[in-house]
Amino acid sequence: MKTLNIRNLGQIKRAKLTFGDLTVLVGPQASGKSIALQLLKLMVDAGQVQSEMGKYGLDWERSLPNFLDAYFGEGMKSIWREGKTSIKWEGKGVDLSQIAKHKRPKKDETLFFIPAQRVLTLRDGWPRPFTDYAPGDPFAVREFSERLRVLVEQEFGASGDLFPQERRLKREFRDLLHEHVFSNFHLKVDKVRSQKRLVLGTQKSSESLPYMVWSAGQREFVPLLLGFYWLMPPTKVKRRNAIEWVVLEELEMGLHPRAIAVVVLLVLELLKRGYRVCLSTHSPQVLDAVWALKHLKTNGADAHAVLRMFEAEDTQPMRMLADTAMEKELRVFYFDGKTGRTSDISDLDPSAEEEGDSGWGGLSEFSGRANRAVAHSAANAEPELSK
Amino acid sequence: MSFKKAVTKTPHLENAWKPGLRALRAQDRPHLEPEDTQLLRGSVDVDSALQGEQANAHRWDFAIGYRHANWQKDFVYWVEVHTANDKEVKVVLNKLRWLKNWLVGEGKFLNAFKRDFVWVSSDATTFTLDAPQSKQFAQLGLLHKGRVLRIPSVRPNP
Repeated sequence: MKTLNIRNLGQIKRAKLTFGDLTVLVGPQASGKSIALQLLKLMVDAGQVQSEMGKYGLDWERSLPNFLDAYFGEGMKSIWREGKTSIKWEGKGVDLSQIAKHKRPKKDETLFFIPAQRVLTLRDGWPRPFTDYAPGDPFAVREFSERLRVLVEQEFGASGDLFPQERRLKREFRDLLHEHVFSNFHLKVDKVRSQKRLVLGTQKSSESLPYMVWSAGQREFVPLLLGFYWLMPPTKVKRRNAIEWVVLEELEMGLHPRAIAVVVLLVLELLKRGYRVCLSTHSPQVLDAVWALKHLKTNGADAHAVLRMFEAEDTQPMRMLADTAMEKELRVFYFDGKTGRTSDISDLDPSAEEEGDSGWGGLSEFSGRANRAVAHSAANAEPELSK
Repeated sequence: MSFKKAVTKTPHLENAWKPGLRALRAQDRPHLEPEDTQLLRGSVDVDSALQGEQANAHRWDFAIGYRHANWQKDFVYWVEVHTANDKEVKVVLNKLRWLKNWLVGEGKFLNAFKRDFVWVSSDATTFTLDAPQSKQFAQLGLLHKGRVLRIPSVRPNP
């Protein structure tokens, strides 16, 4: 079991995270979820992070504050409190100042990070290279952007369709994305004079829609789609290179609940491929899915029930996906912004006594309050009394 | 009129009022947590009291009188302790329908109080706060709670 213990880092006073196959972090804005996820990347990929930063000319001069600013982003050196911050990874203390001081051996990347700011990775419809960002921009954003640039330039170099692509994603996923995200548009590589760009267009017409006129959801989703392409190479290999972990921040951004359901299904595909996935989310729908998978498993339900929930086609590959999802260990942690502590709410018990638990870390609390307000007003409404 | 008086004036409940939460079955008491037990105004086991009179009806479980510290009048919590799963939704909604009808008839003295109709889960709940079922209950005036109904001393909007 992989565990990460954090004390006094940024907004986090005390966090104890035990990672499952799928780990979901919930909690209000600025409660430390992103810091915890970026720290996880550093725990498993310190050598690779140092090497990438060095490759692109980042020099932190062996200083921890400089390293924190370069890695987490400008101004983030303040998250570290000398003598108070402590970190344990898999039960062993980790001294970040040692990571800043000493170069670790270069290793292949084992954690692929899809940041919340992914919409910033496309400029005029084309992924920005690492060096296109300001020196104070977070490493996770710059690295993700660079991966997308390499993917699009090396694997989709020639003009043509990026979506749908026969060798990318299962047909069932392509159909769902067509319906719920792209509205039957194709995602293509286009050229204006010599400049390549991604556009949306139809198969028949030569007309195309440039990046700036895409819907907000499409602008958010395209970098995410490219991230999924990176993780699901078009070969019989299940995973890309040495990658074992995937962090996906706020998968729901800009998406309609039907599209969110498709993205959650894609996350299940990552699990089936053997990736260990960590999500942060503000969407109750994501926890609905986790809650349902746990109960369906407990109740001995079959893959058909899972696929019905996602309105996914009931085919052999999708049944295998659903069966695998029900076998996985699913964990949920609540980052309490007020206390700075985390709690394990993996049971997702709607009848739990603590509101933080029954309200799923605040994601359902408003629904609970709305129900209370309506129930009380309906119970005491005059027409009801005279019925 | 006090909660106690309204109970004693109600047909078939004349002797059903009990102090505190004593009208509740022992196994149901842990599902109720009044913040201040001094504010309790008694309880009634409606189900048992009307068993002879309405043997085949979908009778509601309990009524609990409570005087919130900032209120001038008693408030009534109508509580049904029941398994909370999809199969039982129909049963509980039938009980709510029965209760509302009874309140405008024989239960008219108790109908005059401000109130909440509350379904407390007797065991694990299989629907969530934002589930359509919970919204359906709310529209009907039924508040679905978890395993414990906490009754606060102070309640807004007296």
